[in-house]
Amino acid sequence: MTIRQTFLAKAALRSALLVSCLAMAAPAFAQNTTLNVAQQQDPQNLDPIDTFRLSWGSIGSNIFESLVFRGEDLELRPGLATGWEFLDDETRIRFTLREGVVFHDGEPFNAEAVKYTFDRLLGAEGSKGPQRSNYTSIREVVVVDEYTVDFLMQRPDPVLITKLAGYGAMIVPPKYIQDVGEDAFDMKPVGTGPFQVVEYTPTVGVKLAKFDNYWNGEAEVDEVNIRFIPEDATRIAELLSGGVDISMNIPTPSVETIKQNPNVDLVAVDGPTVVLTRFNTAHGITADPRVRKAITMAVDRNTIVQALLGGLASPISSAQGVKSFGNDPELEGYPYDPEAAKALLAEAGVATGTEITLDMPSNDDTFREVAQVIAAYLEQVGLKVNIRTHEQGVYFNDIIENGKTGEIYYYGWGGWTFDFDNTAYILYHTGERFNPYVSDAKLDELLDAQRQTYDRDVREVALQEVARYAHEQALDLPLYNTSTIYGVSTRVEGFDPAPDDRARYMNVTLK
Amino acid sequence: MPVFRFILQRVFQAVLVTLAVTLFVAFAVRLTGDPAVMLTAESSSVTEEDLVRIRDALGLNQPFYAQYFDFIKSLVTFDLGNSFFRGSIRDLIGIALPSTLLLAVASMGISILISIPLGIHAALHKGGFSDQIIRVLSLVGLSFPNFWLGIMFVLLLSIAFPILPASGFETWRALILPALTIGIILTATNVRLVRTQMLETLSQQYVMVARAKGLSERSVIYKHALRNAAIAIVTFLGLQFGNLIGGLVVIELVFNWPGMGTLSIEAIAQRDYPLLQVTVSILAIMIVAVNLAVDLVYGLIDPRIRVA
Amino acid sequence: MTDTLQNPRLSRFTRFRQSRFAKFEFIAGSALTSMLALLVLFADILFPGGGTAVNLLERLSEPFQSGAHLLGTDPLGRDILARIVHGGRISLTVGLLSALGSVTLGTVIGLYAGYYRGFLDSFVMRFADVQLALPFILLAITVIAIVGPGIDRIIILMIVSQWVQYARLVRGSVLSLRQREFVQAAVSYGLPNRKIIFRHILPNAMGPLIILLTLNVANNILLESSLTFLGLGADPQTPSWGGMLSEGRSYIQTAWWITVFPGIAIMLTVLGLNLLGDWLRDELDPLGKTR
Repeated sequence: MTIRQTFLAKAALRSALLVSCLAMAAPAFAQNTTLNVAQQQDPQNLDPIDTFRLSWGSIGSNIFESLVFRGEDLELRPGLATGWEFLDDETRIRFTLREGVVFHDGEPFNAEAVKYTFDRLLGAEGSKGPQRSNYTSIREVVVVDEYTVDFLMQRPDPVLITKLAGYGAMIVPPKYIQDVGEDAFDMKPVGTGPFQVVEYTPTVGVKLAKFDNYWNGEAEVDEVNIRFIPEDATRIAELLSGGVDISMNIPTPSVETIKQNPNVDLVAVDGPTVVLTRFNTAHGITADPRVRKAITMAVDRNTIVQALLGGLASPISSAQGVKSFGNDPELEGYPYDPEAAKALLAEAGVATGTEITLDMPSNDDTFREVAQVIAAYLEQVGLKVNIRTHEQGVYFNDIIENGKTGEIYYYGWGGWTFDFDNTAYILYHTGERFNPYVSDAKLDELLDAQRQTYDRDVREVALQEVARYAHEQALDLPLYNTSTIYGVSTRVEGFDPAPDDRARYMNVTLK
Repeated sequence: MPVFRFILQRVFQAVLVTLAVTLFVAFAVRLTGDPAVMLTAESSSVTEEDLVRIRDALGLNQPFYAQYFDFIKSLVTFDLGNSFFRGSIRDLIGIALPSTLLLAVASMGISILISIPLGIHAALHKGGFSDQIIRVLSLVGLSFPNFWLGIMFVLLLSIAFPILPASGFETWRALILPALTIGIILTATNVRLVRTQMLETLSQQYVMVARAKGLSERSVIYKHALRNAAIAIVTFLGLQFGNLIGGLVVIELVFNWPGMGTLSIEAIAQRDYPLLQVTVSILAIMIVAVNLAVDLVYGLIDPRIRVA
Repeated sequence: MTDTLQNPRLSRFTRFRQSRFAKFEFIAGSALTSMLALLVLFADILFPGGGTAVNLLERLSEPFQSGAHLLGTDPLGRDILARIVHGGRISLTVGLLSALGSVTLGTVIGLYAGYYRGFLDSFVMRFADVQLALPFILLAITVIAIVGPGIDRIIILMIVSQWVQYARLVRGSVLSLRQREFVQAAVSYGLPNRKIIFRHILPNAMGPLIILLTLNVANNILLESSLTFLGLGADPQTPSWGGMLSEGRSYIQTAWWITVFPGIAIMLTVLGLNLLGDWLRDELDPLGKTR
């Protein structure tokens, strides 16, 4: 009897759904628009706390929102919170929440959802993922009333508000997750953003549909079909043949092709990623600062950027781009001066023909070329460079972490917070995982001190000091800040990607 | 009963081989590095405590035999377990295995369609001009790196003359280039096989007898010779299919085909132990199963083989 | 046409004279192979510098435009032709060493396994089963992730995974040769086993081995290019065909020559070896054991 009832109920539901689908489809049919996007990587898991991939950012930023919003200009603005204030000697941050916001499943957004989000992130579920470690400065989130929450701080965290605009802080729906379970949420998550997930097919792609009850207006296109195409050549072929409207992560070799094609435009944005080579400051000839300076002066970054990267990257003088908080525009990198480099090497007693090793991960095609050009430059000042490649996992797990590199090694870092603290702490603070060699009391002190205050001016001075000190000691050879390059069909209008690789498709229209 | 014993013995051997493969894979994958470090490779301020927490959550603090036992259990129950980062492995395999099978079947189909008529033709005109052309072409076909041929097709048919998509999975047109690439390479092998097998059967006594009886040449070729050559050809194709499933890795990569090879490479890159164990084991089990089937069929037909 | 098939021992000479195709295979195969061997041997004289000189001013020059860079240049301005000639060294080294290594190892083990049977024999057969069940490329990627990339590792990996096929072939020959009168006689004369194995059995099992060796060199050149394409082989500074294909991949839209020419080089080399292998097969193995 009960079985029959449920069957009938299901049938009724199905026909109701069918009717509503038809009703929806009929008027929309004429202008049902789909935006086709190709991106390089599959984020592999759509749960915001399980990932740290930029490939998640360009999908998840359309599905989820957080308390704070950071858009194209990198300014922090109210998101799901309408405002925030620091209380109790900056140990408590009070957020006032936006009213009238609903999740894709109809669940209301409120203080409970915020509390649930952070309890989950800092609790058992968050422990399985990489995001938790960014938010451990939060002790607890307390519900004050339906639309007010307090963040009680464990310790000061000047970058917290920025981090609340990012990945792990995306607000998730408590009821939905409890109903469907964590595994289902990974594959079909629900957020408050302008698009909802229709279907995610691992390694193939993800389909998004416009969310009709979005609080902040309505997306222009009805559907977004994002496909994962790891092969560069294939992704570009699809763009040129019209198979996709937007192709992300265009590799520099293809820039010319795209420029020549009248149907496709090139959009380049300074990205979060900086590329540098670091020195083994503990062993070998690079333990001598003069040798490090000499190597830095022997390599012409500008030519590398112009010739190999098609000019679509900016040379840097410290391990950050111009948009990074802590960047000092006054700080100039060492000039390209092979003669001075030779003199410095001679002064340091390095014989002509000395062999050194450069380590790098094997899967980075662009840097493979850059490394060989660096080797050619260094050969001109009498250093013979042997390039060693490693499988990416081994490179980070073992070669860097355990200090097994040669004299020079590759380091690329996407500091998506655009706050130098993120990069500098990893690179220069004693005992950090990816910093096997640098241990300097002055750097430790500067880095630790700026983490104790919310005062931006004080922090900026400290971070610039870190950059200048690293430059004086020539702790690394800063190369360039890469641009994220998008190929965009001329059909597309209103595509304005943010520098942190978080493409948003809400305002995109198709001709 | 010796037949029964023979079957049992072979099945037992196949199970042992499968177990050995799974053990080897489970062991080898754990030498490649720490998934906790991979997972947090792009996070800042990760402490040793965080890493321990992640390892605990992923079950990496269990002894090897316990992890291996869980893996075998998940295989036997067809549950397949969960990936470290990507949820249910069964869902992932549910996409990857059919796509690899589709590509394999399509390319085998292409190669069979071309190689059987060509092979027969070459055998019937042995030493003639067309035979020589076919032989040279098949040698040329064996001399390409398969991924290079794939790239050449993309260059020609997706870039220079944009007729076919260079990637994708959703339309049948996307299947053409990868299937053609593999199909051509397989054809090179298979033409030679068909030709040799046909030559061999055509020289057998019963074909001569059939000819002597005055049967039409057509009937001799298709009724007698081809039917007898077919056993060897089908066997060979079976083994080829088994190997093909595991051999599509580079082609899948070039054409962005969401198959078992792509999935395995992703699993290796992320040190996703459970996922890699399962993909490699499934590929291995398919190969073992095909070999077993061939073994059994042959053993049942020809008792002498059972001894060896 | 049935003559040769029924009586393979019929004068080899007449058959050679009869089959123009065999002649063609021999001539074309040895021409291609020896041309390549000469180029590789004299690479340093023909193209001093090893094709490694970076010159960003001449990057991506088109082919057939200047005598200086007949086949054009790569993204770092290096001469493609010079790199192909020098890259041949890697391919040939890997092809030859891996094939020789696996044949030697496989032959020795196969001889002993087939002659003595017993534990060694069943071990070889089971090992072969496991080996055949593992997809090689995935195995290679996993192992290289553990031990690191490099040409030496690739050669060892190929030997470890290929010796079993020779061991199985040789073992098969030994099993049937053991039953033959001359071996039985040698055994009953009390000749030491080692002598019987290497003096009497091995020479009679050589034919198929030589053929497979030739074809295996060809096959392993292809395999090496795949592995280097995947980034598991030679370091970036050493020119290699697979490496060049991998470098050209992202330039396929703009600079086809980086990808096309090394591929043709691989094809011609492998074709030469395949022609020779096919010719050898007709000459040494008319019964078709190695097909």
